[in-house]
Amino acid sequence: MTDTTAPVIIAIDRRVTLKWLMGALAVGQLAACGDGAKGLSWPELEAISATGIGKDPNLTDPVVPWPLTLTAAQLETTAELADLILPGEGAIPAPSKVGVPAFINEWVSAPYPDQHSDRVLIVNGLAWLDEESKVRNGVPFIRAEASAQKAILDDIAFKDKVKAGLEKPAEFFGRMRSLTLGAFYTTREGWADIGYMGNTPGTGDYAGPTPEAAAHIKGVIEGMGLKYTPA
Amino acid sequence: MAAWMLTKAGASVLMLEAGRDYNPDEAPMLNMAMDAPLRGINTPDKEFGFYDATVDGGWKMPGEPYTMAEGSEFMWWRSRMLGGRTNHWARNSFRMGEYDFKPKTRDGLGVDWPFEYKDIAPWYDRTEKLVGVYGSNDGLENHPNSGPGVLQTPPKFRVWETFLKAGGDAINVPVVAARRAVLTKKIDERSPCYWASGCGRGCSIGAAFQTTTSLIPWAKKTGKLTIATGAMVYEVLLDSSGKATGVRYIDKATGTHKEAKGRVVVLAASTGETARILLNSQVAGRSEGLANSSGQVGRNLMDTVGSSVSAYFPQLEGRPRYNEDGAMGLHAYIPFWDYKRIVSGEVDTPRGYHVEIGGSFGDPGMGVGGGLDGYGSSLRADVKRRYGARIGFTQRGEMIPNASSFCSIDTNTKDKFGIPVLKFNFAWADHELKQVKHFQNAMKELIDKLGGTLVSEPADPAKAISKGGEIIHEVGTARMGSDAKDSVTNQFGKTWDVDNLYITDGSVFASKAHKNPTITIMTLAMRSSDSIATRLRTGEL
Ligand SMILES: Cc1cc2nc3c(=O)[nH]c(=O)nc-3n(C[C@H](O)[C@H](O)[C@H](O)COP(=O)(O)OP(=O)(O)OC[C@H]3O[C@@H](n4cnc5c(N)ncnc54)[C@H](O)[C@@H]3O)c2cc1C
Ligand code: SF4
Repeated sequence: MTDTTAPVIIAIDRRVTLKWLMGALAVGQLAACGDGAKGLSWPELEAISATGIGKDPNLTDPVVPWPLTLTAAQLETTAELADLILPGEGAIPAPSKVGVPAFINEWVSAPYPDQHSDRVLIVNGLAWLDEESKVRNGVPFIRAEASAQKAILDDIAFKDKVKAGLEKPAEFFGRMRSLTLGAFYTTREGWADIGYMGNTPGTGDYAGPTPEAAAHIKGVIEGMGLKYTPA
Repeated sequence: MAAWMLTKAGASVLMLEAGRDYNPDEAPMLNMAMDAPLRGINTPDKEFGFYDATVDGGWKMPGEPYTMAEGSEFMWWRSRMLGGRTNHWARNSFRMGEYDFKPKTRDGLGVDWPFEYKDIAPWYDRTEKLVGVYGSNDGLENHPNSGPGVLQTPPKFRVWETFLKAGGDAINVPVVAARRAVLTKKIDERSPCYWASGCGRGCSIGAAFQTTTSLIPWAKKTGKLTIATGAMVYEVLLDSSGKATGVRYIDKATGTHKEAKGRVVVLAASTGETARILLNSQVAGRSEGLANSSGQVGRNLMDTVGSSVSAYFPQLEGRPRYNEDGAMGLHAYIPFWDYKRIVSGEVDTPRGYHVEIGGSFGDPGMGVGGGLDGYGSSLRADVKRRYGARIGFTQRGEMIPNASSFCSIDTNTKDKFGIPVLKFNFAWADHELKQVKHFQNAMKELIDKLGGTLVSEPADPAKAISKGGEIIHEVGTARMGSDAKDSVTNQFGKTWDVDNLYITDGSVFASKAHKNPTITIMTLAMRSSDSIATRLRTGEL
């Protein structure tokens, strides 16, 4: 029983507490027992005290008033993970191509309580991901093979199949998934992918359902033995 | 409304507004969530999202607290801007009906209003026509039709609304056109709705009714309206004969205390704030505040009963896409239908509710990933399959006034101006909890008929019910009545105690029907202002 063979190199935010470091060191020890990185502690981080939006911001020319806090390494891992969560497909770009990692940075750096808890989860979660990858594959997450990356995700991404002891990483993954989807589907590219066609002013009466949409619902309603009333 | 009616009648009006001036062009119409901090989500600073029009307000305002009695929870939404909360209300505008004005006569609870529906019906017509309301006349029990030519044509139902209607028809639950203060045809300089951009952001084209694109500019045009913003009123001034001579306010820009004089004083600072001004006003020889010989000021605080359920409909999965933004609010709703079974005793709750519904293909927003699992291309497929297959049902119900729900002055707490703040007491009664149960059961039946599944089993009514004030329909703290002994004003909003002091906001409500209050606030304000104008003309005031 010796120390872990892979050196522990983690980009540490200057606000990260000593407790966190000790947690990270403990990982190394646990890892050597073949126990993965599940012993990593998820310490609290100091709250961000930057200025928020305020009660009367300029709504037509918005600015994000707080400084961004993720390190370059954390952003890289975020991008890698976001692109695994929702990979690009054909003409649909991957999240990292439409600013999702930058948005997650904006999110975790915001001076509000909900975002603070996400920050704790995400900063620690990104560190866990690297540690876990180093333990399993000898390299940080972004340098692991796609199949090795997925092997880690398979242990934390499915509600009913979370590997015992990995509940916290699963929680982290759930938040990343939720943030990635939200961030992606609020872009124009995301709108095109999901089929949101609004935010487009029109003249005259509201057009209502297309003939195709109307025919479809008529079929559904009548198929259930109910009465269809055209819009 | 009062400013418009009175200036139109030739009177000079000074409007004192605690908030700042507001220009509807500030509304971020069509701006993408993506361009707002945090995709525009709710934050402690902007509690209804970045783009919500509220200025310097929300549930909490720095330096302007309110307090709650132990065991009470109450939420008070304020906005400090010209036009107040009309800049961002949802514009749902349902008329109160015959039963709603005579609740005590029907079931012995609460109090009756000092007039009947037929007395106010023509005023509703005038208000709806002036404001511009879309909807249809369905001739339903206690949901009165408007006069001929009053309503504007409602927008078409969207697919999911047609779907709900099919289910409702099968179990005798009506799904009919909603009524909203949104133009579908141009009137005066206001454009019709262009079917995009959430109305809560404010509507700079004037389609969604707000006083800053209508009543206030119209009143200004008469040349008779002076507006002072940043003027925080805290007291009504009386002369030795007991007549109101004006108000005292803090000019926020300079911090100085000022007085404004007038022949008539009209309070319309919102239900909570009007009660606060009355209770904070000093009257020589009396301790209960102003216009409060009945002891009813601050009492009878009511809000709408709120709760919600949400269901997933596999039948709507993957339905063909089209633009469902529409009027960015209700096209259809479920008015209360079960009056007969209340009378027969089969329903164990005395008053009704309506249901507001939502299920459009909208901007997916930050919640789009809720409840999803896994990752990769199957995740993408899940997101797309589920989009537009979930419908939310929101109860909006009647509350009966009760002795445990009121506001008073908290003598221990002052705001940053040194004005004593309001303290709220609030409690729901069994009536409201049973009503929540009725709603939950009725919606389950409807959802079931349409093959849907509840997203989660509704909580026990005591947990499922909204907090007091949360629905932002607070009314009743200076109720009108026919007897000076148990009401604050007469049916024209004139306080019984002070002949030239009027109230034209929701505080004068004698009951809180399930119908959202604002169209009735405006209708009463129009009727009361007409009465003031007549009394000014005849020299009575
Ligand atoms: C998000 C939202 C959605 C809503 N949706 C609906 C709906 O669909 N249908 C509906 O019927 N209602 C709705 N409402 C409620 C509706 O906004 C209110 O009923 C209505 O605005 C009340 O009008 P009011 O004039 O009494 O008060 P307000 O609109 O609040 O106006 C009061 C004004 O007085 C000013 N003021 C306050 N105190 C002082 C003081 N001390 N001195 C000087 N000025 C003062 C305020 O700054 C404000 O401008 C909604 C509200 C919100 C917030
Ligand atoms: S949906 Fe229509 S009424 Fe509402 S803000 Fe947009 S244009 Fe105005």
